[in-house]
Amino acid sequence: MSGRPASPPTHATAEEPVVFVVDDDASMRDALSNLFRSVGLRVEVFGSAHEFLQSTLPNVASCLILDIRLPRLSGLDFQAELAKADIRIPIIFMTGHGDIPMTVRAMKAGAVDFLTKPFRDQDMLDAVTTAIERDRVSRDEARVLSGLHARFATLTPREREVMALVTAGRMNKQIAAEIGIAEITVKIHRGHIMRKMTAKSLPDLVRMAEMLGIGPAAGGPQT
Amino acid sequence: MLPMMRNQTLKSWRSAEQWLLGSTVLALAMAAFIWLVLGPAPAAPAYLTAIVLLIVSLLASLIMMLRVGTTRRQMEAMLHGRARAEQHAIEALRHSEAQWKEVFEHNPVMYFMVDAAGTVLSVNTFGAAQLGYTVSELLGQSVLKVFPAEEQRVAQSNVAICLEHIGQTHSWEICKVRKDGSSLWVRENAKAVRRLDNQLIVLIACEDVTERKEAENALRQSEMYLAEAQRLSRTGSFGWRVANGEIIWSEETFRMFGYDKAPSIKHATIFQRVHPEDRARVEQTIDRASSDGKDFEHGYRLLMPDGAVKHVHATAHAVADASGGVEFVGAVTDVTARKQAEVELHEAQTNLAHVTRVTALGEMAASIAHEVNQPLAAVVTNAAACLRWLDREPANLKEARSTVQSIVEDGNRAGEVIQRVRALVNKTADRKAPLHINEVVNEVVSLVQHQLFSHRVALRLELAPALPLVLADRIQLQQVILNLVINGIEAMQPVKDRPRELVIRTLQDEASHVLVTVSDVGVGVAAENADRLFDAFFTTKSSGMGMGLSICRSIVNAHGGRLSASGNAGPGATFQFTLPLHREDST
Repeated sequence: MSGRPASPPTHATAEEPVVFVVDDDASMRDALSNLFRSVGLRVEVFGSAHEFLQSTLPNVASCLILDIRLPRLSGLDFQAELAKADIRIPIIFMTGHGDIPMTVRAMKAGAVDFLTKPFRDQDMLDAVTTAIERDRVSRDEARVLSGLHARFATLTPREREVMALVTAGRMNKQIAAEIGIAEITVKIHRGHIMRKMTAKSLPDLVRMAEMLGIGPAAGGPQT
Repeated sequence: MLPMMRNQTLKSWRSAEQWLLGSTVLALAMAAFIWLVLGPAPAAPAYLTAIVLLIVSLLASLIMMLRVGTTRRQMEAMLHGRARAEQHAIEALRHSEAQWKEVFEHNPVMYFMVDAAGTVLSVNTFGAAQLGYTVSELLGQSVLKVFPAEEQRVAQSNVAICLEHIGQTHSWEICKVRKDGSSLWVRENAKAVRRLDNQLIVLIACEDVTERKEAENALRQSEMYLAEAQRLSRTGSFGWRVANGEIIWSEETFRMFGYDKAPSIKHATIFQRVHPEDRARVEQTIDRASSDGKDFEHGYRLLMPDGAVKHVHATAHAVADASGGVEFVGAVTDVTARKQAEVELHEAQTNLAHVTRVTALGEMAASIAHEVNQPLAAVVTNAAACLRWLDREPANLKEARSTVQSIVEDGNRAGEVIQRVRALVNKTADRKAPLHINEVVNEVVSLVQHQLFSHRVALRLELAPALPLVLADRIQLQQVILNLVINGIEAMQPVKDRPRELVIRTLQDEASHVLVTVSDVGVGVAAENADRLFDAFFTTKSSGMGMGLSICRSIVNAHGGRLSASGNAGPGATFQFTLPLHREDST
């Protein structure tokens, strides 16, 4: 193949997902690269785990296709290392025959899928699609969550206290009695909270509270 | 005789005296006559006549007496001389007789004189003494007494033959027995003669030939032993005089070549048996030997008339013969059985090597499967990709073509692995060819990747570039390296506290050998096992036949190299083997 070291992300945009391949076998790397390019997927290949860790990963939906049998750092160790470094990229393992114990370990450690070589191209593409989709979702979730956290951070301590009680289903009157302020003040706080958190409705706010992990028992500030 | 001579002398004496007496008597008678006739008065003339007569007769008597005396003295002197001569002759005769007696008695030849009945008439002292008897003990006895029972009939018949052919000498060898029972071998010359008294006697002279006979027997025995030894060892001997081309063979050599015994043979006789394919070579060796006269040695085949093929090996040593020419003395051994055994041994070893190779491959099945699977996976993936390139609107032919190219490459790669494995599984005959040792190492390494991975062993290759070629059988070398690598991997199995590393090095040593070493950091070799490591069936593993290293060593030896093991300075062991360099001239 022409692009042996890696297929350069020339026409890449920030939105375009990337498939990373780590395999010590050059033929296999090239074949995978070829397959993904043929379906228009952006792909980057690496000869070893080390090479992969050296590169800067773009912040787009991506997945990692990893040969479970790698020299020096095995695919499993690499998986553990990524987890330790909090790099949460969906992993699809490729295994040879007789690697079942390793496969089990890989799946337990959160691998998206594993494919036994030689695999059907469609299986691989499906696994990649699933993995990228999952990454996209988790990236979206992460993005939403971080927005929520940012908005939540703008609340005053009293507003956070009120929000916890509101989302726990208490009436304004009860809240006022509980924390010893006027009911009207509770209403003002409530208005601020809805505005700051950009909540459209009370259920919307409840869902946000759930995502933030704010419960009535906690009662206090979360961050 | 002597008294007779004396009588004659006396007779002559007597006649002289008679003459004297007669003439005196005649003179006295004459005087008396004159006295009587003429009376006392003497007539002068008559007296004168008578006196004259008397005187004359006296004178005549005197003269006669003188003459007779002289004759008698002469006679006496003559008689005396004759007597002395006779005496001398008698003494000489006695002396001679004694001498002859001496010779007869003490000549170291045994003389017997026997009559027709075989009774000993005479025997010399030496003869009697040789048999442990005195002469008197034998005289009058049957001569059969000195023969052992089993020879008596022969002795009798020999005497009978002599008696049949009187005057003819006969000779024979026969065993005699001494008085003390010991035996001796004699050669007898005998003939029958008729004595003056008409009695037939047999004269026998015999000579002790025991020593010669024993030497002959010893020689015969030794020759028999030699012939037997030659037969048992299937080794014949030969002598070859270059000057006249004459070749002398031992009995065994004749048997080996399938010929009847002959006093001598020529080279043509040999070539008649030499296998046609070997003839030129044998001719060359013989021509060279005859021209430079140096020791030679060669092996060749014989094609026997029945079509059987024999392998022989001949060695010859050059010696100078009496006339200063070169003579070769040598031995030729029938090595057919040995050759056969060698072939069978080689076959057995080949089979065993094959079995161990297949066993080793069995242990590596997973590794091999992986090596095939890898390119296969690439082929499948590329093929799928290719279809997708073709299915595009418009089809991307450029990508499709390059993908197919990859498929071809990967397919070939898988094929190579399979071919390599099949070569190892195949039972192949020795096929030595010049090869690069590094290639062989790499081929083996490609088969053990998975093995290394699953045992978490890191492999380091330190292959010297531009090594000279070695003449070797590729498969056998792969087997040796494979075996050493698998051993190394297994030796590191228990290692948990340090990285498992296997190092394969190739280099050229000072002694112009190519050296291959395989080092591990495993359990090492226990000192007490170091010697037995290469023995067949020796193993420290719970599984395995213990044939691996033994086979490896015989393979390396067959290549003219050496396989050895040693402990490392650090943990682990190093196995290494050498291979001689391939030289263009050595084929």
